[in-house]
Parts: sequence; C-alpha cells; structure tokens
Amino acid sequence: MVKFIQEQLKVTGGNISIDEASLVSQARAGNMASVEKLILKYQDRVYNTILKICGNEADAAELAQDAFVRAIEGLKNFKGESSFYTWLFRIAVNLTLNFCKKNAKLSFQSLQEQIDEDTNRQLKDYLIDKSAGEPSELAAKKEVHSLISKAIEKLEPQQRAVVILRDIEQMSYNEIAETLEMEIGTVKSRIARGRKNLKEILEAAIQ
Amino acid sequence: MKDTEYIEELLNSYIDGELDERKSNEVKRLIDNDAEVRQLFETLTRYKKLMGSIPSAAAPEGFAEGVAKRLERQILLADTGVYHHHAGRRHLVIRRLMTAAAVIVLMAVLSLIVFDIFVPKTSRDKFVNSALNRKGKPQVLYEKPFEDAKPPQDEVIQVPVQNTPAVPMVVKLTLTTDSPVETDWLIGKALMNTGLFDKTAAIDRKTGSVRYVLNCSADSLVNLMGELRFIWPKCTDAKLEVGTEQAGKYITVNNVTSQQALEICKADNYGQRIRMANDIAIINNFAAPDVLDRYIAKEDIGYDLLMPEKPVLTSAEQAKQPQPADSAGQANLTIVVIGK
Repeated sequence: MVKFIQEQLKVTGGNISIDEASLVSQARAGNMASVEKLILKYQDRVYNTILKICGNEADAAELAQDAFVRAIEGLKNFKGESSFYTWLFRIAVNLTLNFCKKNAKLSFQSLQEQIDEDTNRQLKDYLIDKSAGEPSELAAKKEVHSLISKAIEKLEPQQRAVVILRDIEQMSYNEIAETLEMEIGTVKSRIARGRKNLKEILEAAIQ
Repeated sequence: MKDTEYIEELLNSYIDGELDERKSNEVKRLIDNDAEVRQLFETLTRYKKLMGSIPSAAAPEGFAEGVAKRLERQILLADTGVYHHHAGRRHLVIRRLMTAAAVIVLMAVLSLIVFDIFVPKTSRDKFVNSALNRKGKPQVLYEKPFEDAKPPQDEVIQVPVQNTPAVPMVVKLTLTTDSPVETDWLIGKALMNTGLFDKTAAIDRKTGSVRYVLNCSADSLVNLMGELRFIWPKCTDAKLEVGTEQAGKYITVNNVTSQQALEICKADNYGQRIRMANDIAIINNFAAPDVLDRYIAKEDIGYDLLMPEKPVLTSAEQAKQPQPADSAGQANLTIVVIGK
C-alpha cells in the first residue's frame, strides 16, 4: 500500500490533491490506507523541520516517526479545531524541543572553522557588502548549509523553532501561533529576535 | 518596547507579508524615506532569502513503512492487552512488590542460615525460647488506680514429687471392753452389714481377746468404721494405731473416739492421714490426766511423733508437699478386742 501511494505521488509530482479532512476521519476510523496517505503527505516536511531543529539525521528520523505514531494514535482526541497539519507539527515540534532540552549540549565549536576562505568571502559579499544578487549559488554549497545549520543550533530552542517554522517550513504567523500554542505577538517578537541573533551569529562567523 | 525593536518587528512582519494593507504602506514609506530602516530591511531580506534557499531534506527511505510498522505493533499490543499504560503500570507495581517480597523472604532465609551456622546452640536456644515466651505488656487504656488493685498472688511452687513407694493404709484398732461377747457380736454384725465378713482374712480368738484381720479397700474400711461407732459405748478404752511408711512404726492415737477414727480413715491420702493421726494423738495425749506417765511408760510412741511437723517453707509461698500415694486404695485393718 505504501509503495502504491509513493508511486502515485511520483506520478503526480508529489502534489496529489487529497482531501485532508476525509483522510483524517478515515484514519480515525482505523483505515490504514488513509493513515499511510497522511504519513506520505507530511513525512518530508515533518522530518525536515525536526532535522533543522535538532541537527541530527538519526534523531530526526526517530523523532519524526514518533511524532507520526503519537499523532495518529491521538486522533481520537483530535477535535478538528485546528488543521491536522498544525496538530501534527505541534506534536513534532514539542517532541523535538523536549528532546533538545534533555540532550542539550554546549557547543563551543567556532563557526569560523566551518567554511573555507572563498565561501567565507562569498557569504560576506552577500550578507554584509550586499554586492551579490541571489543566494542560490551560495546556498547550493554544503559548507554554507552546514554553517547556517550550526548557526541555527546556537539559537535558543524556542527562537529556533519559530524561525525554522517561518523561514523553512513557510508557516504563517497564525499557523506558528497555533502550532506552538502562543500569542501572535510572541511569535512576532521571537521571529524578530531570532533573525537578529542569527544575523549576529553569522556575521561573527564570517568576519 | 523600544522603537528599534518595534521597527524590527514591523519590518519582519512586512517581509513575511503579515501586515495589512494600511500598515504595509506605512512601512513601505518608512523604508523609502529612512536610509537606516532601508538598510535593515535589505539585510533582513537577504537573511530570509538565504534561509529560504536552503534545500529541504527528504525523509529517509522506508520512513512511512517504519511508522506503519510501529503503528501496527502498537495496535496489536493494545488489542492483546499486553501493553496498556494503566495495565502495564499495575503489572509493573505488582512485579516490583513481588520482587520486594521475594527479596525479604530470601534475606530472612539467609539470616536464619547465618544464625544457625554462627550462633552457638545454647545461645540460639535461649534466644528462641525468650522470643517464643515473650508476653506482651498489657496495654493500659485508662488508669484505674484502686478498682482492680489486688494483692499479688503467691505462686504455688511445685516441689518435685519423689518416687515414694505406695503405702497401704494400715490401721490397728484396739478396743478394751467389759463386754467382750457383745462387742464381738457387734463387730461381726458390722462386718456383715458392710459385706466384709467374707473378706476377713483371719479371726484369732484367744482367751480374753479376739483379733480380726481384714484386707479390703479403703472405702470399705471407712464404711466399717462408720458401722463400728456403736461399739464405742461398750468400750472402756480405744486405741488406734496408724501404720507409717516405715515398716513396724505406728502412730498411736490413745483414747480415740469413733469420730476421730472415722476421720483418720477418711483422710484422702497417706500424708493427710498421718498428719491427722499425729495431731489427734497429741491432743488426746495432752488431754489425758496421766499424760506424763503415758509418755514415759509408752516408749514406742517416740518423741518424734509428738513433735510438730517440720515446716517445709518459711516464706509466703506455699509448697505442695510430695505425698506418697496410697497403694491403689488398699487397706489393712486389724481389730483387737480385749476383754477385762
């Protein structure tokens, strides 16, 4: 069944139109096919978000699976006041933040050692001197990914989650507020502070 | 909130498209007119673009299958009841309790083994006895200082009974009479009435005296003594000799009355009989007018028989004197009638 759905997703370029509400109600009734469709629909996004927050692929895979299992098991408690997507991400982000809290490691590794001189110059040109146009070429470099990921990891977990949900998961402020169960004003201030801190961390790294 | 923080929030919201049209126009104007704000806006935009340009990571191969397997496992466990949160917790608590109980039992057994091996037997027995015989102190619920106050009771000390050989009741009644024939006839009648005539071992008739020898039960002897009370008025003197455990030694009760003879014979056991005979003998001897003559004249009485008994214990404690048992209630009676 999973393979069949995966093939269908490939055929349609991953954009098959699935009525989420009916899938959720079928999954709640115990329909495993609907459950699998829900998993396939959100697995990459959930995994990617968790990976960006926790920074470890193995942990991210484990946490993402755990989040799906809990979300589907808890469907009987799902009242439909928010979307399944928000419900799922709430579980995933909370699990990840708890995991980060339990496994907090102080990283004293300098970010300056993460990139070579050429990349450092390109990044400086883009962020500080503002001479470069689009960041696509820069972002294609693995070193830059790693540097940004390390910089994100240095953010305080709540700021990290907000920035990732906005800039990587592209959630709206309302969705972030629902997912993290906080006020929109808090979301706004955390995004502002998170981006400011990230800027400072990266600028310090490329100076 | 500081102005810069507010402007930063506004700019971030503007970049993210989260402002309504009016606020958005205001921010746009601010960016156009303020170089510092414009610079901040450009920096934030570049950072946002950089973040957004980072490629997304796809879930690892077999991710969905992994989730499905875990779900199936959870469902199966829930169906079989093997893994239910409350049941599991209860099961865990029971297991822990059982483990604790097993550990306690094991420790107790080990302690017993160690106790058995290392503690000497005498100390061990003493400890066990003291542990078993320990009496709990009665709990005083309220004070009743005088109501239940009782003098302390003396404990009865049991003196171990020595292996005293059984002593048969041996009684010799000597009657002196002026009417020997009548007395003889009355004795015969008493023997007939009590059914002891046939059990009379011997009747020895001599000139001036008749001797009856009987072997019977103690009860029969008592009955006979009761019947013999009619003889006393015919007698001028009556003497009762009670046999002691020492062969040939008697306690002689002079001037014995029929009632005294009966009471002596009715005594429950040898000790009581001897004590009673002794007491009556003393009383009768002192009551007699020729008491001094009698003591001196009768050597066979012996002073030891007249002396009060030696006290056994001088404390408040009472001791039971070991008593030699009667020989299965057997009695030997000799009646001697002496005619004047």
